[in-house]
Amino acid sequence: MKEIVKRFPGVVANDHVDFELRAGEVHGLLGENGAGKTTLMNVLYGILRPDEGEIYIRGEKVDVGSPREAIRLGIGMVHQNFKLVEPHTVMENILLGLKEPAFILDVKDAANKILEISRRYELPIDPKARIWQLSMGERQRVEILKALYRGANILVLDEPTSVLTPPETKELFRFIAQMAGEGRSVVFITHKLDEVIAISDRVTVLRAGRNVDTLQREQLDKTRLASMMVGREVLFTLRKSAVAVGEPVLETKHVTVMGDRGFPAVKDLTLTIRGGQILGVAGIAGNGQRELTEVITGMRSIASGEVRLCGKEIGRDSISHRIEEGIAYIPEDRVGVAAPQGLTVAQDLVLRRYREKPFSNGVFLNQDEIERNAEKLIKEFNIMVSGKDAPARTLSGGNLQKMILARELSGRPKLIVAAYPTRGLDVGATEYVRSLLLKQRETGAAVLMVSEDLDEILSLSDMIAVMYGGEVVGTVPATEANVEEIGLMMGGSLRKP
Amino acid sequence: MPVISLVLGFLSAAPLFFAIGVNPILAYQQVLGVFLSVDGLTESLTRGIPLMLASIGLCLPFKMNFWNIGAEGQLFMGAFGATAMVFLLPESPAFILLGSMMIMGFIFGGLWGLIPAYLKARLEVNEVLTTLMLNSVAILWVDYLVYGPWRDPEGFGFPLTPMFPLNARLPWIPGTRIHAGLLIGLICAVIVYVFLARSKWGYELKVTGESRLAAKYAGINYLRLTLLVMLISGGLAGLAGMGLVSGIVLRLRHGISPGYGYSAIIIAWLARLHPLAAIPVSILFGGLLVAGDALQIGLGLAFATALVFQALILLFVVGAEVLTRYRLVLTWERS
Repeated sequence: MKEIVKRFPGVVANDHVDFELRAGEVHGLLGENGAGKTTLMNVLYGILRPDEGEIYIRGEKVDVGSPREAIRLGIGMVHQNFKLVEPHTVMENILLGLKEPAFILDVKDAANKILEISRRYELPIDPKARIWQLSMGERQRVEILKALYRGANILVLDEPTSVLTPPETKELFRFIAQMAGEGRSVVFITHKLDEVIAISDRVTVLRAGRNVDTLQREQLDKTRLASMMVGREVLFTLRKSAVAVGEPVLETKHVTVMGDRGFPAVKDLTLTIRGGQILGVAGIAGNGQRELTEVITGMRSIASGEVRLCGKEIGRDSISHRIEEGIAYIPEDRVGVAAPQGLTVAQDLVLRRYREKPFSNGVFLNQDEIERNAEKLIKEFNIMVSGKDAPARTLSGGNLQKMILARELSGRPKLIVAAYPTRGLDVGATEYVRSLLLKQRETGAAVLMVSEDLDEILSLSDMIAVMYGGEVVGTVPATEANVEEIGLMMGGSLRKP
Repeated sequence: MPVISLVLGFLSAAPLFFAIGVNPILAYQQVLGVFLSVDGLTESLTRGIPLMLASIGLCLPFKMNFWNIGAEGQLFMGAFGATAMVFLLPESPAFILLGSMMIMGFIFGGLWGLIPAYLKARLEVNEVLTTLMLNSVAILWVDYLVYGPWRDPEGFGFPLTPMFPLNARLPWIPGTRIHAGLLIGLICAVIVYVFLARSKWGYELKVTGESRLAAKYAGINYLRLTLLVMLISGGLAGLAGMGLVSGIVLRLRHGISPGYGYSAIIIAWLARLHPLAAIPVSILFGGLLVAGDALQIGLGLAFATALVFQALILLFVVGAEVLTRYRLVLTWERS
């Protein structure tokens, strides 16, 4: 790809980017959120048309007008958000959009071909399973099979490990190595430094739409890559100061919560977090962490048990009351729940606090106060936005999260519930978010942090609780934490009451 | 863009006129005559009043994605409530009687709106179904009254109440049929606008319209918000009903509204849910209705023809509205 330029209103997503992919190579594409990695690959895959620039495949100039063209040229892409039809079977999804078989009568051949590919690359899957029954890792396998079925020899993977468990990630890397060994090429888009160093032959770093440089395998170094990505020195270890621990802020006693499928998602769970403590909740997504955060913040009703905030029972209180009492909530779903996209930044910044004085006097909203608040928070938290009246949808992922944090933390909360707070964020934003949480801890707030990033949990938490099957299977102080033990607890094979 | 769509709509009606043996130019003359005469304009204003009140009311629930298709029924219930006052206090001085008619019109319309609101907020019952079906209930209830206990004994058996006494009639501008409902409508537009733009509930509406989950997260009480909004929306439609019986028809009868509640939906949508914009759109729509009358009276066309004409105009205007949200980009390749 030569001199690719892609502009969107107000921003140049790709600024004369060159990118070269060799046969049989694993090429990592590294960059912060908004650096232009996905845009570049969307251009390759025909989802976007470049404003300038050329693409050559195997020496021939091509014009990729649509994904169909891309597929015909042998390019396959596995997106961050899977493009699967949940009620349909694996086979139906793989065959979707193909000319053959013309009618769903002739599926024996197709099924055999799928099983053959699945066997060859050790990607076990049942063609008759329905997508909604599959885990994220299995769904990703279906996406990969989709690409392989169409004969992809250039495979683009966009942030593939964000939904995988550690063993599944290992499997994926094995598969990538196998593809490369056959002479096919893999582009691996990620912001995870350790992974890209582990598997890439070469790494290209994008920053602010430009290609910073491409490094060979021997030159790969974590600090160097990080500063290329961010443009400055990046600290990897945040210094955590010793903080005096206070009274219990959050206590859950024998809490049981029903899940969406009709059975309990949280079972008889008891835990305590004190002021000045960060409790890191580790575990594979889907073991009750979400429901736990929801019952504490009021988004889900409690089936039995108590939730106490500073001694007061709040388990059956309204959400507005819990906000008033000082519970801040940074949910997993930022776009849909925490920051409605159609509102302006100023409006989003008072989303949970608009009932308070001075923002409202009971009937009318005080626009001046709301705007003043917005200006103050934008400056204080360094939120990159064109103006306080810009619609929230113009914010990039990292800035959106900053905005949410600015809102939630500015009210001096007693308890902060943060679900996957740095997921999908680049190095700079991640560093910032973590430092904010640590600062809250220093002022005596209690933090409940759910995360899938074990390094994050180990470095930020004072206490670590591992959840499996809706229960806390082990609680350890961070200073005594042992990664293997935690891994076993996450997998359900160990209990440390 | 609206002008082009209007012209296209007009032109598209030409084959229709040809088909029934009418010179389209004559038809256009009739229609233009509506807008170029004082009578035509005042009549458009008059017709626009109930449309205005109902469509202003609809801006609120639609903004929170509560699909209130029940303005027609709420209008009927408001008309019923207002008429009941006339039967109860026939001797009262005008301002007491009219005042109570307005209050009852608002309350009855509002209560009619509360039913689907409660069912949705508490039981997730689809509001499109409930509001639509309650329309039939309200219309039939009024039919029962005007065919039965409230029928005018001197009405030759027609389904209508006796004519309202003078103290039950809204004041009007002499020489026209424009009644005080216009003033009420303008005031309501301003009130609803301020409500939407400046009040706490206006903000809650916006958030809920974006996502119910986000509203829950923000601590918004969906039940209370829906009830409040539907009370106001139904109430305004009820006021429209009151205006019809007290300002124009001067009695309650079968078919008191020829679908104003449904037309109000289109108007609210064309006004992009902005209560102040609903004013001119309602008046224009009123003009369209008058034009339909003009075609019937002036050229002897059938009622159905007038309806088709109105439908064609609407089709083009609504279609054009959708197109204004997109941009045509012309690109060409250099070979």
